[in-house]
Amino acid sequence: MTAFLVRRIGQAVAVVIGVMVLTFVLIHLEPGSAARATLGLRATAGRIAIFNSTYGLNEPLDRQFVTYLDQVVHGNLGTSYSLQQPVSTLIAQRLPRDFLLLGLSTVLALLIALPLGIYQAVRRNGIGDYIYTGIAFTLYSMPDFFFAILLIAVFSVQLQILPPEAPQATSVAGMLADPRALVLPVVTLALISVASYSRYMRSSAIDTLAQDYIRVTRAKGLPERLVLSQHVLRNSLLPVVTVVGLSFPTIVAGAVIAEAVFNYPGMGLLFYQAATSHDFPVLLGSTLVVGISTVIGSLAADIVYAVLDPRIRYGHA
Amino acid sequence: MRLPRRIIAVVTPLILALAVAACSGGSGGSGSAKGHITRGGTATMAWVGASPNFIFPLAPATNTNGYNQNLTDPLWPPLVYAGNGGQTAVNPQESLFSSIIYGNGDKTVTIDLKHWNWSDGKPVTSRDFTFVYNLLKATVPNWWLYVPGLFPDGVASVATPDTHTVVLNLTHSYNPAFYTDDVLDNVQILPQHAWDKTSMSGPVGNADETTAGAKAVDAFLQKEGGQMSTFTTNPLWKVVDGPWKLASFASNGAWDYVPNKQYSGPDKPILARMNNVPYTTDDAELNALRSGSSLDVGTLPLNDISQQAVLKSEGYTVVSVPLPAVAEIIPNLYNASVGPLLRQLYIRQALEELINRPQLVSKVYGGYADPGNGPVSVKAFPSWVSPLEKSGGPYPYSPSTATALLKAHGWKVTPNGTTTCQHPGSGASDCGAGITAGQPLSFQLLYSSGAASTAEQEAAIQSSEAQAGVTISLKPEPFNTLASTVGICTASSHPASSCGWQLVAFGYQPNSLYPNGTGFFNTGGYNNLGGYSNPEMDNLINATEYGSSTSAFFAYEDYAARQLPWLWLPLRASLFVYKSNLQGFAPLNPLSGGNNPEAWYYSS
Repeated sequence: MTAFLVRRIGQAVAVVIGVMVLTFVLIHLEPGSAARATLGLRATAGRIAIFNSTYGLNEPLDRQFVTYLDQVVHGNLGTSYSLQQPVSTLIAQRLPRDFLLLGLSTVLALLIALPLGIYQAVRRNGIGDYIYTGIAFTLYSMPDFFFAILLIAVFSVQLQILPPEAPQATSVAGMLADPRALVLPVVTLALISVASYSRYMRSSAIDTLAQDYIRVTRAKGLPERLVLSQHVLRNSLLPVVTVVGLSFPTIVAGAVIAEAVFNYPGMGLLFYQAATSHDFPVLLGSTLVVGISTVIGSLAADIVYAVLDPRIRYGHA
Repeated sequence: MRLPRRIIAVVTPLILALAVAACSGGSGGSGSAKGHITRGGTATMAWVGASPNFIFPLAPATNTNGYNQNLTDPLWPPLVYAGNGGQTAVNPQESLFSSIIYGNGDKTVTIDLKHWNWSDGKPVTSRDFTFVYNLLKATVPNWWLYVPGLFPDGVASVATPDTHTVVLNLTHSYNPAFYTDDVLDNVQILPQHAWDKTSMSGPVGNADETTAGAKAVDAFLQKEGGQMSTFTTNPLWKVVDGPWKLASFASNGAWDYVPNKQYSGPDKPILARMNNVPYTTDDAELNALRSGSSLDVGTLPLNDISQQAVLKSEGYTVVSVPLPAVAEIIPNLYNASVGPLLRQLYIRQALEELINRPQLVSKVYGGYADPGNGPVSVKAFPSWVSPLEKSGGPYPYSPSTATALLKAHGWKVTPNGTTTCQHPGSGASDCGAGITAGQPLSFQLLYSSGAASTAEQEAAIQSSEAQAGVTISLKPEPFNTLASTVGICTASSHPASSCGWQLVAFGYQPNSLYPNGTGFFNTGGYNNLGGYSNPEMDNLINATEYGSSTSAFFAYEDYAARQLPWLWLPLRASLFVYKSNLQGFAPLNPLSGGNNPEAWYYSS
């Protein structure tokens, strides 16, 4: 396992450096001027010169990249052109918010999807399976902004029982202190994810239920509850683990639509606004963080595989 | 009628006397008082899209975030306060000057400061003005409001004959209206006695009096001004002369004010607290308004005008305010393919006459828009609007006139098809120089995406232009993308990489208090994207800046309206929503964006 981890971490470093190089080059190939995008239409030649000089944009691209790498190695992700704050500060302010919102919604989605998938597998092609499949497909095909607005229209505007905004506190503790405000954004994101998780779980559980060892457990008289919870659930989780592992970067990258609708500025809006305003440091910093989280998510999924299925031995791979 | 500057100097004492006599004291934006004034209370205002990130008022050239001004103006009001109630005019009561007198052929400006105090009890003096002047002069051009040639460049010397008088000796004679409204209204007076130092623990002195010292002071203040976490706690920012003090500033961009008890001006805050909360989008803000939130003031996008009735039932009032700006389609006169077309005035005229502006105002904007008759907004700047613009402008909607004009210049007009040039050449009845036989009247219009009303407007223009066979293809882009890719194109420099655009509509171009065409239509203007260049226009614009004739402005305005350096469009108004028991909010100051809460109060 140790050798596997060392090998994977080495790969991860290479992947992250590759992501940085690719992102840096692609961003700078984008047509248009960062100075004019930031300073607006009244940017005089003098202001543009000051801007380019301040941020080193008048240097050759290779030199800019070396400077950037040097900054990153020293823990400096640069300063946002448009927000005028250190990128690390901007990310540090937003990342915990997204972890909270998307983390809670992922947990909620799994709490619903796993038992639902097993239920559908056990009752496959029954009326319950059809009903839940229909609901899952409906939710999955619904655009998240529409679903969010629908929930706000019902629960905030009509019934006025839940606030239309996510918590506005700037700390995780402060946000957790306002649980009512978390309900709509968390439920919106969770229900949309339930469909995908439950379909994976259903499909995997159907395969597991057909295995000989399940028939053996039943033949031995093990109660169905224990068959499902101890044997079917664990052995059906592998595909879901893959999906959850791959969703880790999306947790870090934020949910731009939900953030916009629920007035919850996070990583998604930060990245979107940076992309439309040529805010290179923010784009690079965000991409770096998402790249690292992708590698971590993938690595975590591999480790969980081994925990769930002792037959998997990475050290001998 | 607008008051000439010299008259303002005379009547200000009278106005002040009246203001002192008035018990309610509301001048910033209040209309007639309704109900009993309730002292105290909290008002919460929504700001959509961005939030401040810099508190030192002399922000650097790299930071053009206009929200910083929203944060700092209530703390350090400008020398010349723009907007008087609902009027686009100087507000002499809220301004720091008691008189501004021009002499020596308008080359000398004598500014008398009011006897106001800073929040720490020290007087506001002429030394505070020279402090600002010294900092700007030492660090020019690194100031976000810097315009080459104006302040501080255009000041040859500054004298302070006494503690409340500043004399500026200018390098040129300037039109007093221009200089007061467009130059001095950008100058804020800052506390030299508290800020003239180079480190937090260092002593306050006169470091600004040398260039090196001024640069060091400026560097220190710039560094502190960007520390968002210390906006509230930093002792520097606690010394203010405006009606408010900063009570809190959160990392999410929310900030609160409490009254400055030492405020010397006329509109002493009645509210006990003023909260400002950021919203990511208009929709998020509208949801908050509709769900009975604690918001007292917000904005309403024109797309959501149908929500008026719902908001009224929630206890809100909706009010509109004209934008001090001009809406436009900018033609690229030096685009490689359509430049020769757009350089022809008669083609620009035909394009303008095919835009049904009255219909756009009524159908797209529900009546909440300026008619867009020319380069000056009729609704925002009524005193600067010429009779020609008042009467509907030189080119009212007339497809038949446009069609006849094109035919008279050798075009084969094919309504709802593609009009083509039949008679190339430079003669009076030919298409014009550089236009080839068979060349179509086809253009691509880039426009700023994001607002449904804008998309509707551009689609309507596309449709109405087709009546004369003018083909417009539409391409929406985010505003920042447009700003970064649409370059300034001129006769001498129009590289394909940044001059591939043909027509562009950014939405609108904001004006200052004095809405002349500097920067827009003069040769080499910083925002003259399409490369319009005309010596007569330059002379007329110069006359509005440097001359003193009151007719110079109308001469410029009418010439620009006829020349069509830009195609004129209707300009949407801003809609604000406020709690119906919040008084003093309307009529709105068009230049402050509703940001004068010192005039607000609740009625019982």
